[in-house]
Amino acid sequence: MTGDSGGVGIYFLNGQISNSPPNANFSEIMTYAEKLPGVKIVKKPNGGSESDPSWLIDDIRDHDLTRVVIAGDSPGFYKSFFTKAMVEQGKDPAGVVLAGFREYGTHAANSRAKAILDCAVLGVPFELAAQPEETEVHPDTLVIGGGIAGIQASLEIANAGKKVFLVERTGTIGGHMAMFDKTFPTLDCAACILTPKMVEVGQHPDIELMTYCEVKNISGGPGNYNVTILKKARKVNLATCIGCGTCSEKCPGSAPSEFDAGTAMRKSIYIPFPQAVPNKYLIDSESCLYTQKGKCGVCVKVCPVKDCINLDEKDEEIEITVGNIIAATGFKVFDAKRAEQFGYGKFPNVVTSLEFERLVNAAGPTGGYIKFRGKDKRGNQIFSAAHDEPKSVALIHCVGSRDENYNKYCSRVCCMYSLKLAHLIKEKMPDADVQEYFIDMRAFGKGYEEFYERIKGEGVHIVRGRTAKVEETDGRLLVRSEDIVNDRLLEKEVDMVVLAVGLEPREDAADMAGMLGISRSDEGWFLEANSNTAPTDTFTGGIHIAGLCQGPGDIPDTVAQASAAASRVLQSLAKGKVKKSIKDLSLEKIDARARQLAAT
Amino acid sequence: MSTRVNPNMIKDLQKFGVGDWNACFHCGNCTATCPLTEQGFLFPRKGIRAMQMGLKDKLEGQVEPWLCYYCGDCSDTCPRDANPGEMMMTLRRYLTSIYDWTGLSGKLYKSKALHLVVVSLIFSAIIAAFLIFARVPDPGSPDVAAYLEEMGATVPLNKFAPSHLISFLDHIQLIVIGLFLLTNAFNMFYKVVIKDKTVKIPLWLYVKEIAVAFWNFVTQWRFNKCERKTYWLSHWLMMSSYVLMFIFIIFFLDWFQTDKIHPISHPQRWAGYYITFGLTFACLVYFTGRFRKKEAIFKFSHHSDWIFIFLLLMITVTGILIHIFRISGMANMTYYMYVLHLAFEVPMVFTFVAFSKWSHLAYRPLAIYFSNLKKSAKARMAAA
Repeated sequence: MTGDSGGVGIYFLNGQISNSPPNANFSEIMTYAEKLPGVKIVKKPNGGSESDPSWLIDDIRDHDLTRVVIAGDSPGFYKSFFTKAMVEQGKDPAGVVLAGFREYGTHAANSRAKAILDCAVLGVPFELAAQPEETEVHPDTLVIGGGIAGIQASLEIANAGKKVFLVERTGTIGGHMAMFDKTFPTLDCAACILTPKMVEVGQHPDIELMTYCEVKNISGGPGNYNVTILKKARKVNLATCIGCGTCSEKCPGSAPSEFDAGTAMRKSIYIPFPQAVPNKYLIDSESCLYTQKGKCGVCVKVCPVKDCINLDEKDEEIEITVGNIIAATGFKVFDAKRAEQFGYGKFPNVVTSLEFERLVNAAGPTGGYIKFRGKDKRGNQIFSAAHDEPKSVALIHCVGSRDENYNKYCSRVCCMYSLKLAHLIKEKMPDADVQEYFIDMRAFGKGYEEFYERIKGEGVHIVRGRTAKVEETDGRLLVRSEDIVNDRLLEKEVDMVVLAVGLEPREDAADMAGMLGISRSDEGWFLEANSNTAPTDTFTGGIHIAGLCQGPGDIPDTVAQASAAASRVLQSLAKGKVKKSIKDLSLEKIDARARQLAAT
Repeated sequence: MSTRVNPNMIKDLQKFGVGDWNACFHCGNCTATCPLTEQGFLFPRKGIRAMQMGLKDKLEGQVEPWLCYYCGDCSDTCPRDANPGEMMMTLRRYLTSIYDWTGLSGKLYKSKALHLVVVSLIFSAIIAAFLIFARVPDPGSPDVAAYLEEMGATVPLNKFAPSHLISFLDHIQLIVIGLFLLTNAFNMFYKVVIKDKTVKIPLWLYVKEIAVAFWNFVTQWRFNKCERKTYWLSHWLMMSSYVLMFIFIIFFLDWFQTDKIHPISHPQRWAGYYITFGLTFACLVYFTGRFRKKEAIFKFSHHSDWIFIFLLLMITVTGILIHIFRISGMANMTYYMYVLHLAFEVPMVFTFVAFSKWSHLAYRPLAIYFSNLKKSAKARMAAA
């Protein structure tokens, strides 16, 4: 104790440890709490008891409490209630201490919760007591994911003269941002911002770019991670390919283009998009006739460079050693087929926002002209400049977001990108009827509200009311919503519907988190060590997270996070040491240090 | 007219059902997904808003809750799991208590104990009445033997409980309950139509719209606009068989309750079997549904729902048993079942028809009638 004469009271509120593993034993923590020094009373008040403080005032008086610990997931929520009760009894309100289980992660929930309580009872900040030891750090860094987050982080570190391995799963870096037409709210051309950075990555002497590669295994510990990387067979020699495109011209195989979100076809030997880095071809084995049927090899015959294409190339594994890892693995968009009421997959002109992003893009399948989706010769649903123009478009917000049936959280970007898309439609087709249907307009960022006002002024019909269903009548789409502000039911016929699909963790996020030894939130996003004070750290030493693998966000957020993660890496490289994992710190060690700190 | 906001009204409303009132964030999905909602009669969201704000005046005059047949689509797709369908159901219970000027309805809805006590008291009273007044006929007596001979029957049920006497008691019951229901329905008319100053309905419209209202009452065709047709079917089966049973009991008991066992081709037996089939089918659907809690409409059951379905099931089962025992000549068992049949039937009629769930038999057709009146009147006003 710090010499206080009074006792300590511990109150468990909202009673559970969030994200706790199934073996977390709450009553065990309460029993432990009772044995801590100076503890006079441990209670778990019922829900709703925070409306009347009389019971708490009685406790403080009866037990002469000078310190009350509020324990739980979000104890700060109850702080004012406890402070008032302390003041009422003439006690120092500084005696109200928070023990937030959620704040410090939940690895090995029981011992972590106990350590947090220890510190709270002793009045020592947990961060101060839970200081992991430091260890030597390897100077190289691995960045996983070549989207804007990975690109930014790699450049930050490499520009400081440190070596970076940038591993990207697809044939090019660029990620989702490369697919966007414009950024909000400034309406800058996304590619114009991104491509110079991509080129810089490709040419940087300190960045070893590993495209078409995947991280397979991570071993070792903080400061010294051994990483196994699978180098998938590109079948085109990166060093000798001149990017002439003859092979692609003659290639008989085709598949939907990933870069165009499946709205156009590409060849089996292809370059993802004209500004790809590296600007070299690759072969998609799944649609390649030679790999699938054993006969073709046209590309080899027409290639002007000797031995550039090797159709029998096999995958290889590469081992590297790094000191720090930044995970920038990004997100996937919500599968609109799951929300059947909107008819995606059933009606060809119900499209997702990502598809529409390609449709309005000047480098997209229609050259930037907004056209209907239709079938090509082989029956694939594609966008084509040869199709007709829609005259009216409805944009539906919150598809797969803020919905208990899919994802409860807000995906943060959909309101703004929908406004941006509405603007782009109006820009290209001023006479088009553009409607937006939203639940709440979340224009939270710098310049976003102004952007919203601007789009409203452009003649876009913005309706407060979530669309409930899309039906087809006489070849047109019927959109049914309640116009809440004007107290009426809206049934509008439109030519095209754009679904503002939300963002989700990638399918393999669990595997990646497992390899990295980091935790995930309830929704599946990678969990940061502390959203206020260490937003890009994890509980594992030397592992950092940046970008949308951590949760929905926009481009400015992502870039800022990437730079922040890079600064943590550079911090350790400058010192030559990296902190070990907090999660490996034992209860006894934290307890001992907390007592030592309390005594001084 | 000023509108009074009463945030505490929710506490009162919560006793009529369940639902997390704060869950709703007013996206309008429920209204837009509903196939029955239409311009001028928007629900469920607007009703939820009125509940959240405690707009008593507004709620009392609402016709919209009755226009909903509860298919559960809104609850299934609600992004907040706020269960708008059950909130409409809650509003219907609340409105039933508002229309009822005696105040009994509200008490039955708010207290499970009271409802059970009332049902048990009436149940016991019926049994006591039979114990005191009824005599088991002696098949050996010449009077009874002659009767059986004349009827070609084996069980003299009409000697135990003469149909003209039971019919007389039924008529008293009809008059009493009917008076309550009529006055309550008039109260509804007053609140929904007369108090609504925004629309003036000419008298001839009342005549014109009555045919449509009657057609809806008989077929419940509006329910068929909902996506799930099986709901309409089981609801219609239950309604039609119950109403048919009601008509036979009140107006044709002498024909319906006979000791003579008619041949299988006789319409009396078809009618009986149809009613039995309809009630059994509906009871099974609703009973298993409420137990399994899989579908949106069955996820929450108020005590009035449980008591209702239990009594209906008991009436059906005892009805079937009366028939079986009578046909197989088991006289005493027939009488016991008959007593039980009435002991379940009377509390059902007494507590439900005018004061609880069954009253929607009157209120829903009336609501459709009133809303059509308003619609036509508004269309006329707009045209003029």
